[in-house]
Amino acid sequence: MSKTDRKRWRHTSPLAAIFYLGRIFKAIGQNAVQSFAPLAAFLVAYEGNLMGKIVFGIAAFVVITVSGAVIRYMFFRYRITNDSVLIREGVLKKTQLDIKFDRIQAINTKQNLIFRAFDLVTVEFDTAGSAKQEGHLPAIKSALASSLRERIRSADRSVDVEDELKAESRSLLRLDNRDMIRIGLSNNRALIFLALLSPLIDNLANRIEETIDESSLLAILEGAGFAVAGGIGLAISIAILVLLLLGAASVVGAFLRYHRFELCTEGDVLRSTGGLLTRHEHSVNLAKIQSLRAIQNPILRLFGRFRLRAKQASSGKPGKGKQFIIPICEPDQLPMLEDEVFGEEFKEFDLRPRSDSFRPIAKSYMRSRVVLTGLSPAFVATSFFYLIAGPISLVFLLWIPLNAFGVWTKYRKFGFTVAGNGMVLRKGFFGYQTTAFLHRKVQRISVTQTLLQERRGLATIRFYLASGSLRLPYVDFQMAKGLRDYVLYKVESSRRAWH
Amino acid sequence: MPDPNLRIMIRLSHRNHSMFENAEITIDELPRVDSVDWQGMDPKFARRKLTEAAIGFVFTLIGIGTLQTIFGVAFADEGMSISFGWLWLVPVLVGIPIFSWPLISVPKKGYAVRDKDIVYKSGVFWRTVTAVPFNRIQHVEKSSTPLDRRFNIATLQLFTAGGSGGDLKIHGLSAKTAEKLRTFILNKVGLSVEQD
Repeated sequence: MSKTDRKRWRHTSPLAAIFYLGRIFKAIGQNAVQSFAPLAAFLVAYEGNLMGKIVFGIAAFVVITVSGAVIRYMFFRYRITNDSVLIREGVLKKTQLDIKFDRIQAINTKQNLIFRAFDLVTVEFDTAGSAKQEGHLPAIKSALASSLRERIRSADRSVDVEDELKAESRSLLRLDNRDMIRIGLSNNRALIFLALLSPLIDNLANRIEETIDESSLLAILEGAGFAVAGGIGLAISIAILVLLLLGAASVVGAFLRYHRFELCTEGDVLRSTGGLLTRHEHSVNLAKIQSLRAIQNPILRLFGRFRLRAKQASSGKPGKGKQFIIPICEPDQLPMLEDEVFGEEFKEFDLRPRSDSFRPIAKSYMRSRVVLTGLSPAFVATSFFYLIAGPISLVFLLWIPLNAFGVWTKYRKFGFTVAGNGMVLRKGFFGYQTTAFLHRKVQRISVTQTLLQERRGLATIRFYLASGSLRLPYVDFQMAKGLRDYVLYKVESSRRAWH
Repeated sequence: MPDPNLRIMIRLSHRNHSMFENAEITIDELPRVDSVDWQGMDPKFARRKLTEAAIGFVFTLIGIGTLQTIFGVAFADEGMSISFGWLWLVPVLVGIPIFSWPLISVPKKGYAVRDKDIVYKSGVFWRTVTAVPFNRIQHVEKSSTPLDRRFNIATLQLFTAGGSGGDLKIHGLSAKTAEKLRTFILNKVGLSVEQD
């Protein structure tokens, strides 16, 4: 603690310029290409040979970006007071940031290769306020970062002295190289890319087929009588190649982000470290976790693994909440991790989606969904297009069994468990998502009944948490009311802070 | 009656954890949202809604009148005699729902203030009852549009944490009630903060 000077405005290490260089490159990559238009114009006007232009262009680019980074470093100053971090930055637009310790949800650090050599880290302050006002301290000594972390922890009023004493680091989870491959392959983004690319792949295959038709290859293939088969074979092999490349890219991404991932706990803080080139350190205060979600998409299900996501309070737009991610874990590790997050307060619950503890929702869910999303649109579409297109429009009726299957799948995945201090909700379509939260973290509750639900004595209940809302559809109305009254009682009698 | 299964589950878990923060309770002892006395919205609220509908309706009439004139002039040159009287069906079809809606929906709205929370109900086809505990309220906002002020009506908005539309809007309180509620809630919010 003595390392943090409380009086003076300080500069960070000059290597912070590297951090700003990265930011400048990122900005250029994102949208500021046009800011180099003057340089491009100058180069066009510049008299000289091509080589000279290239050399001059590169030199100018380097000088501009590096001096930009250095200037930004020079204008960055910070000060650490008893209860806050003050930051002054900006060359043309001056910014002053005052981040109070008790507003800081977590301190995350990043360390790239160069910083690692000099024992420097970049600190990111995770505040509960607006997503825009995020503070950074680039390239400070890692010892300063950890002393800062200590001080912010002790400023947190939810930490008591006892916890402070037993705050030694305990390792919970380590991931090996095989896990990296699993993470890479089960990445949703890889799946989305694939889905997006499939029409593109078709196009590509067509294009290649056309080219082949015109080229001399044609003769060879035709001679063997494989013209068509060859084209299809080529398309399939290209598709497989793209698939492999995507999978490989995703695996590389997993290695870069999560290599030697380790999860450990220190008192009331959960901390993860990992990353091949840049090491990311991410931490979250357990008291600030609003909900814990176990995700199992089809690929993770194949591997028999889960991904865990602990959500903190979000600000502004939904889905923009802060998350703490455990990229992969085994089913046996789930109960241990759940215990770490919820502790003694919520022992009896089970996030495993196939646990017996889940109760189903009412079957009427299927009836109403089939009528609303299956039968009605199919009949409307059929009768409308029948007038125009004739009997062919009967294909719309195929939607009915397809939709019914989808509705049935969704129905089966819904489930819930209620315990004394918290509950677990399950949902899903292709995979499973089970979300656990404590009753006392609920912000407000609504119980909604449609006219049809009213007739059947059912209701939909929605729990609003600081990290977003969770819906439990089609449950018994009396139970919904009982649950609401009980959760309200838990919230209103709780004397602990929810954040 | 609350679901017996739920009751058993909650009892069970309380037995396991009786050393913790809570004494054993049963569902039947819980205060029920159901049994509150609902306060209706301000009687002037339906009139305010109707006035809004009327203003909208007048604009619709003006619009249709203009359209008919334009069509009439445009097609008169062509020497065609098409009647655009059917355009007047639109205000009739639109008018019935917009004038009857406030009369149906406003009586369905209601609120109740309890010691530790505020409950609000609304909806004709989707009947929703929302409960907001005072110790979760971040801030309270009172607002009124010029039309609201004409009828002495205000909107109270209660903000809780979280991005998912983290607020409850109660429209149709009399300005006086809204102010009273605001003070009351802020007072309660302050008390709950001190407790923490």
